Amino acid sequence: MVEQPGNIVEAQQRFASRKDIDVIAAAQQGDKAAYKQLYETYVGRVYALCLRLTGERTMAEDATQEVFIQLWRKLSNYNGQSQFTTWLHSVTSNIAISYIRKQKGWFQRTFNIEDSPVMDDSDAGSAGDVELDRYILRLPERARHVFVLHAIEGYRHEEIADLLNMAVGSSKAQFHRAKQLLTEWMDDE
Amino acid sequence: MSSKNSQRLEQQAQSLSRDIQPERDLWQGIALGIEQREETLPATNDKHRSQWPLAAAASVMFVALFGWYMVSGMQAGPSVQQPSVEQLAATMSKQHQAQKEALLVSLQDQPALTQNWQQQLSELDEAALAIKAALEQDPDNVALLKMLQNVYQQQISLIERVHAPKWRQI
Repeated sequence: MVEQPGNIVEAQQRFASRKDIDVIAAAQQGDKAAYKQLYETYVGRVYALCLRLTGERTMAEDATQEVFIQLWRKLSNYNGQSQFTTWLHSVTSNIAISYIRKQKGWFQRTFNIEDSPVMDDSDAGSAGDVELDRYILRLPERARHVFVLHAIEGYRHEEIADLLNMAVGSSKAQFHRAKQLLTEWMDDE
Repeated sequence: MSSKNSQRLEQQAQSLSRDIQPERDLWQGIALGIEQREETLPATNDKHRSQWPLAAAASVMFVALFGWYMVSGMQAGPSVQQPSVEQLAATMSKQHQAQKEALLVSLQDQPALTQNWQQQLSELDEAALAIKAALEQDPDNVALLKMLQNVYQQQISLIERVHAPKWRQI
């Protein structure tokens, strides 16, 4: 019997999950080689999220390193109840947001144009030449955080409000603003 | 924005790549960071405990001084004498000097990441002197006060950055 492509994909996914579980278990036991394997598998995902949240390559690299350093100790909290990627994205969002907060002083956040874009187009190439990605990186910080977390990561506005210390209404307003800006920019091209 | 556009945008966002590879290898720094934190966790925490209040105090002091000035400026009636920008700059400089010295003392046992950080610190000192000289000519210029504050913030952040953990260099 010839296996259908769908079954092959499903089988591959199952295999990948099984393999991941073994690697995660080894890393939880303190196996650094296994942890490096996890890093190699997931660094792209973590970096993509950090890049979209920070809007800047160097800061995204630092945030990615911070995530993996903290993850080493947090890994024991993962109990296998959810998909590892779901858990990883949630941990990454939390660490990256708090990293961004630490890096930006109170003064900068308050006086510096909290709402101005943080990057120029030269950084956009690092997001993989995807047009929408380029525009996302140009969004004002808060609008970008909300858009990335809601539209890409699938967070609910209640969760975003909690994570970013803002009202649910503000999260919705920032999301609306982000969509408006992105549509305008894309229409102008 | 039409709901069609909005829907299209959300669909595009969902189809974005979840995987972007960094341009450089980050593992070396991570491995070193893990090692360092494992080895020096209690000591590092102690250090952080001793440094954090200094950096935080510096920020709070700047903000409080500046905020107080702005608020008192808005509330003061004609009969109330408000301190000049120059006076405020003098207070800020005095406080900054004390904070900077305390921070340097607390970090004296930690190796610095660059050789020329003290030169950079001196250049910032010179910038602060130039701003203070400009303030003497224009004692009510709030923009100069903000510039001075910015220079002081840069000094604090330079000191902190050059004494940051090794893994951040990689």
